[in-house]
Amino acid sequence: MTKKRTGVFVCHCGNNIAATVDVARVAKEMSAEETVVYSQDYVYMCSDPGQNAVIQAIKDNQLDSVVVSCCSPSLHEKTFRDNATRAGISGFTCEIANIREQCAWVHKDRDVGTEKAIKISRSAVRRAGRNQSLEPIAVPVTRRVMVIGGGIAGIQASLDMANAGLEVLLVEKQATLGGHMLQLSETFPTLDCSQCILSPKMVEVSRHPKITVMTYCEVQEVSGSVGNFKAKILKKPTFVDPEKCKICDDCTQVCPVVVPNEYELGLTARRAIYIPYAQAIPASYTLDEDACLGLNPIRCGKCKDVCEAEAINYDMRPETVVEEVGAIVVATGFDLYGQENLGEYGYGKVEDVLDGLQFERLCSASGATSGHVLRPSDHKVPKDVVFIQCAGSRDPAQHCAYCSKICCMYTAKHASLYKHHVPDGRAYVFYIDIRSGGKGYEEFVQRTMEEDGAIYLRGRVSKLYRHNDKIKVLGTDTLTGQNVEIDADMVVLALAMQPSKGTADAAKVLKIGRDKDGFLAEAHPKLKPVESVTAGIFLAGAAQGPKDIPETVAQAGAAAAKVIALLSQATLSHAPTVARVRRSHCTGCEMCVTACPYHAIRLENGKAVVNEVLCEGCGSCTATCLRAAIEVKNATQMQVFEMIEACLA
Amino acid sequence: MFFNNLKQLHGTVYINDIWCKGCGFCVQFCPTNVLDISPEFNAKGYHPPYAKNPEKCHDCQYCQMICPEFSIFVTKDNEIAKGEAEK
Repeated sequence: MTKKRTGVFVCHCGNNIAATVDVARVAKEMSAEETVVYSQDYVYMCSDPGQNAVIQAIKDNQLDSVVVSCCSPSLHEKTFRDNATRAGISGFTCEIANIREQCAWVHKDRDVGTEKAIKISRSAVRRAGRNQSLEPIAVPVTRRVMVIGGGIAGIQASLDMANAGLEVLLVEKQATLGGHMLQLSETFPTLDCSQCILSPKMVEVSRHPKITVMTYCEVQEVSGSVGNFKAKILKKPTFVDPEKCKICDDCTQVCPVVVPNEYELGLTARRAIYIPYAQAIPASYTLDEDACLGLNPIRCGKCKDVCEAEAINYDMRPETVVEEVGAIVVATGFDLYGQENLGEYGYGKVEDVLDGLQFERLCSASGATSGHVLRPSDHKVPKDVVFIQCAGSRDPAQHCAYCSKICCMYTAKHASLYKHHVPDGRAYVFYIDIRSGGKGYEEFVQRTMEEDGAIYLRGRVSKLYRHNDKIKVLGTDTLTGQNVEIDADMVVLALAMQPSKGTADAAKVLKIGRDKDGFLAEAHPKLKPVESVTAGIFLAGAAQGPKDIPETVAQAGAAAAKVIALLSQATLSHAPTVARVRRSHCTGCEMCVTACPYHAIRLENGKAVVNEVLCEGCGSCTATCLRAAIEVKNATQMQVFEMIEACLA
Repeated sequence: MFFNNLKQLHGTVYINDIWCKGCGFCVQFCPTNVLDISPEFNAKGYHPPYAKNPEKCHDCQYCQMICPEFSIFVTKDNEIAKGEAEK
């Protein structure tokens, strides 16, 4: 092997590195290395003059490999690899030595910091000494997208992508599209009807030639990588053929079973065969297998007997389909923080304690009461309603530490709607702070207080209990310092938002990260807010964090734009730092095959073979192979040993 | 109390102990587990069924349909007052 000609470039990063590391000394020490023919330090290596210096040095000194000692490779690796390419050598001969995050920022002592920076740089030099010139692998792209979740986020993302010409697969777990937005009565701050603004989009999705809607389906398994995912989707049986169903409602008239209607949050009941809403898409009935007396025409079969269209088929079975897609958008949304966690607000013991979504259904013209605000226990009009904000939010000791962001606004909306429905009623709102950042939001809250006359009390509710046919609410008004006692007819809790159960399932299936609260983790909190850490998987909506409808729509559009940008390329380039098998050493023990998390290795004629497109170069195979028969290019065992040696020397 | 006033359909099971020969089909196949085998004997020396959870009967009449001895039948309860929707 001819001797390498390596150049080392040490960055000051202003004072970020130079304050704790003697950069000039690092550069000098590096020049003493055997393979290093050029070294320099510069105040901002990533600046234009800095980059030009790298390119010039490569050309002038015929360098064949480069080490840049600077910040994390997640920031500037691409910059310097591009520079290497521009100077005419392979980008993959360029190594980054991270002497900022892993050295300068974690040390105070200048001598220790310098010593460590030298070791880090030296190990990178040794690694670069054995780097091969590699070219990126071109990967074909599947021009289809899968969107998981059919709420407003999924609908918006699907429409945006389909209008750009991509084929979209919209997978929804429930029997209808629409998500939580379809359950809302009005939306803040304009008080326009939620269904009226959502249903046109739902119709557009269902009629769009580029969008395939798959309701009552769940994604079970996803394999592959960016550009070429394979998704296994379970189609749950609805036992009703939507093509034949005429929505005549004859079946629900004869079904003998009654269970609480989850779409109305238990305020109404439904039969075992049901349609979630009048606006449901697809417009068809669904037979709830668990509630049905047994899908047996002898046992019951009443619905099948009356169905003139012969749409009901008890023999439907779950079906699994495999779909190939190039990118995935996860829009699995939120659930309300379970009321059962809030024993202090009388869940299960005190009647007429509702959550926000139940109150939405009470106000909604298409809801349980056709838009009359009535209390569930005796169907009377409540005259005193207490709204409790931050129920479960901002309580790190017992509940969720985070602010759920939308509760201040939707409680103001609830109070306002209640006063419109019951002008002589009294609405009390217990709050900690009012957070109304947003266009027209603060004005809306002010209007609720001043024009609609909702009574805002700053403080928390300590206790509530049933007292005759009223609910006694005890709390404190911290502005006057007095205890407050209200005889309420109804209590509405502004429960915290938490990631939906489907979000947890999706994260598991897609192997994408979640943050400490369970929301999907974005790749970078500021600069990559819609990307997941896995390339080709994007996030939209409340699954990523609490947000209101405008933000959700904006994020869905952003995710769609990212997918369009990704899939508009003819081919994707894949890092060539993939595993390689030394066939002479391989015994075909298959240990690497089972260890590979990307299913990239298979056995061919008794030897392991790597699918370079699927391989992500993680090195799990190297770690399990007993004979060093498989290793990752540019991270070979030889390189790793030399790096360790350089650090210990 | 649900807002849409849907009521669970209820039925009452009647068992003719004398005809029963204790095959247990009704107990086995009742979708809501209303019935169980009685520890008592009937005149023929068989254990007839009895309604262990009568309130669970949804008037599906499956037991009536499968009984080989015609010794069980169900009538629909019209008494809506007590037939309030179950949770």
